[in-house]
Amino acid sequence: MVDKAILYDATRCTACRGCQAACKQWNENDEYIPLPSDKIGVQAKNWGSYENPPDLSPQTWLKMKFTEVEANGKVRWLFTRQACMHCTDAGCVKVCPNGSLYHHTLGFVAYNKDTCTGCGYCIDACPFHVPRSTRNIFTGIAKMDKCTFCTTQGLDRVAEGWEPACVKTCPPKALKYGDRDKLVAEGKKRVQELQAKGWTNANLYGENELKGLHVMYVLDDNPEAYKLPADPQVSPATIAWKDVIQPVGWAVGGLTLIGLGMNYLVARANAKKEEK
Amino acid sequence: MTHHEVEKYRKAIRVLHWIHSGAFVLLFLTGLVLFIPALGFLAEDSWTRLIHRIGAAIFVIAPIIYIILDPKAVGRGLKQAFTWGSEDLGWLLAAPRYYFLGDEKSMPPQGAMNTGQKMWWFMVLVFGIIFVLTGAIMWFAKEAAPSAVLQWMVFIHDVSFIVSGAMFFLHIYLAVFHPLINEAWGAMTGGKISVDYAKAHHGKWYEEITKSKEEKA
Repeated sequence: MVDKAILYDATRCTACRGCQAACKQWNENDEYIPLPSDKIGVQAKNWGSYENPPDLSPQTWLKMKFTEVEANGKVRWLFTRQACMHCTDAGCVKVCPNGSLYHHTLGFVAYNKDTCTGCGYCIDACPFHVPRSTRNIFTGIAKMDKCTFCTTQGLDRVAEGWEPACVKTCPPKALKYGDRDKLVAEGKKRVQELQAKGWTNANLYGENELKGLHVMYVLDDNPEAYKLPADPQVSPATIAWKDVIQPVGWAVGGLTLIGLGMNYLVARANAKKEEK
Repeated sequence: MTHHEVEKYRKAIRVLHWIHSGAFVLLFLTGLVLFIPALGFLAEDSWTRLIHRIGAAIFVIAPIIYIILDPKAVGRGLKQAFTWGSEDLGWLLAAPRYYFLGDEKSMPPQGAMNTGQKMWWFMVLVFGIIFVLTGAIMWFAKEAAPSAVLQWMVFIHDVSFIVSGAMFFLHIYLAVFHPLINEAWGAMTGGKISVDYAKAHHGKWYEEITKSKEEKA
């Protein structure tokens, strides 16, 4: 099937945060701002930015990130969408022990919360630091949550042929949903327009990063200016754990059992010979 | 027959052994479900993590209680793990012929622990500490520690799991299934082994305990 994607145009975004609210409303993540005492929220207080809440949480899958950049004596206010980037080469899918995180047939990273074990491996494997988890420090009972591209069971917009809730609500059409290759072409065209207007650093983020993100950004400056990793990678520890240690573990375990079985057969035969 | 038996393991050490190995089995199985993707469904909703943590608490607390109750015995035990001599090399060279072919001619007489048992005891100490340290970071610093640190903790924890797990199979095999080692199970359950077995498998140790008895008498 043709991969679907979201294209976010930072130069059209007004940071109204309608997407944040729509995300919470559609996915039934309480619209009130969770407090730290709720175990799922973060402290909401004035910390010098309109950014609110200050961080993602198990109940906040999408939030607008505000960055102030000073250049040539002018302050620029940059807006970025902060949520799952739906990588093709997804560290979280790689480390998930039981396939709770998996690639949807349309390419993005879907999630089955019911089967999540709460191990938290995805939290540390994500190059964008997106997954968030509830976690009882004492018992270890935990559940991860993140953007599901509006494919949560029972709340699946994509299966209905609808765009994700954040896209649906976006007033300036900074968010678009569609076939990934068409959005890549559209993003590139927009970048050219921006460069023609003098935004020489304009770029399309996510076309090739991690073999292609399913959330791509049109930026008028370097990714670093937007606090995005310039070259996101699946971490060496993820690869070492999944592609080296797991097969080695199988081999060591298997060979040990085979070796012991062989020893048993040889030793028993010799012991019987001795008796005779 | 009782007068032909000698005590191999005191009651306290046997109780510690079974509590600690019980915790290890619990930890091994609940860890296995996250390591093998096909078993991952068993870990749904974190219940195996809760069991893993109960196991971990026992794994840590049991030896600590033992250390408090009998620090001298712990000292003697630690000394054994770190005392190595030329007969250990001899044992290693002769062991394959013994364990496969039953040829004990070239096996040097062994102390209370033979070289293989010392190696296992040494591994229990080293991997036990690695497990506890890496596990404690995953348990208590999941929010605080950097992602890369946590990922490498999982990596080290799992390397220890593979090595000590394989050695754990070997330990069970030798103690329970190997045709020539027929009294190890009894030693760790009832505490006693026959004099014949003691002479054959722990000659040096048997000499020591009989000598000290004679001295007392």
